[in-house]
Amino acid sequence: MTGNIAILGYGLSAIGPGVGIGLIFAAYINGVARQPEARGMLQSIAILGFALAEALAIFGLVLAFVFK
Amino acid sequence: MNDGPPDPDAGHPRLEEAHMWNVMSYLISGPVMFGGIGWALDLWLNTSFFVPAGILAGMAVSLYLVWVRYGTQH
Amino acid sequence: MSLNVLGSLAMADGGGFETPTTADFYQPLLFDGPWAITRPAVVLMLSVGLIAWFLIATTKRAAIVPGKGQWVTESAYGFVRNGIARDIIGSKDFLRFVPLLFTMFVLILVNNLFGVIPPIQYPTMSRIGIPIALTLVVYVTYLYIGMKRVGVGAYFKNLVPAGLPAWIVPVIFPLELITFFITRPLTLALRLFGNMFAGHLLLLLFITGGEYMIIHGGIGLKIAGVGSFAMAFVLTIFEILIEFLQAYIFTLLAATYIAGSLVDEH
Repeated sequence: MTGNIAILGYGLSAIGPGVGIGLIFAAYINGVARQPEARGMLQSIAILGFALAEALAIFGLVLAFVFK
Repeated sequence: MNDGPPDPDAGHPRLEEAHMWNVMSYLISGPVMFGGIGWALDLWLNTSFFVPAGILAGMAVSLYLVWVRYGTQH
Repeated sequence: MSLNVLGSLAMADGGGFETPTTADFYQPLLFDGPWAITRPAVVLMLSVGLIAWFLIATTKRAAIVPGKGQWVTESAYGFVRNGIARDIIGSKDFLRFVPLLFTMFVLILVNNLFGVIPPIQYPTMSRIGIPIALTLVVYVTYLYIGMKRVGVGAYFKNLVPAGLPAWIVPVIFPLELITFFITRPLTLALRLFGNMFAGHLLLLLFITGGEYMIIHGGIGLKIAGVGSFAMAFVLTIFEILIEFLQAYIFTLLAATYIAGSLVDEH
């Protein structure tokens, strides 16, 4: 079997950010469902958490092209 | 449902939700741009460590920019 | 890079089977080369004719109590106008942009759905030129609106958020420049293209692979071939969902970029 193990590495490294973003937005949805007035405050925290978790996924994407 | 003339600044109720996509584009362009600068520096100086340093620095700048624009309260 | 890897990885399942590649997407009907009239071009023209005929026919005699065709058109139009344009751009000046957003939404949706309707079965958005063309329209729109509103100099000055320490501005300014002028339109086009292309390639792989395994395989491979066809069925349903979602996201992002250049940020 020929191929590139960097692709396998990228696939495995996409599991972490996926789970992380799911957890973040689950917490956001829970918070807004319990108290809809808190939506504005929670939104900026959710976006920050999303950016941090997505940063790792973007690392994986960029490095998959670097290590070809 | 009679509450007078429509409020001219009734606002964009869902604009803030759409900021998430702008965050994505910041997160992509940061590492790519600084990684590109690092790669050009690598070609010029014949080293090999500027590309990952550029990617990390670019990601740091991107996260800082996202925090300034969307994380703090205006 | 990744497509060659996909091709070579999938080559491991028996000789004689040709995996679907990007060359399968180029189907010229007349002539050949850069001026060929290809199948996606014909399908695109067909879709424009179909949309025009449907929209005109259902709104020609608009009644207060709508018939079925008029109801479909009104639902789609109300969805784009209220749910996307008014909520994102704001109730002050969103009416100017509703034609553009509605056109994009209906065009992308119909062309995506052509990917799973049997006589046609070719998602026209899987050729990169067409999403690029749509993105160019949105790109020129939001840049022109932003620059006309505050002037070119102030537009560039507004790119950097206020209140930053002065030594970091020369680092942030090129980053904002590249984000606004390069990354945003690029990701807009690539998101639509990538989703349509990958979805169609997956369907091709499962269907041709299933057919090959059923015809040429031993008993174990024949069972796997049936499983491959079942997988293709599931993926077709998933593909329909993705097509709706991609049309919606493209229109949503176009509205967001237009709203971003209308609003005085910070």
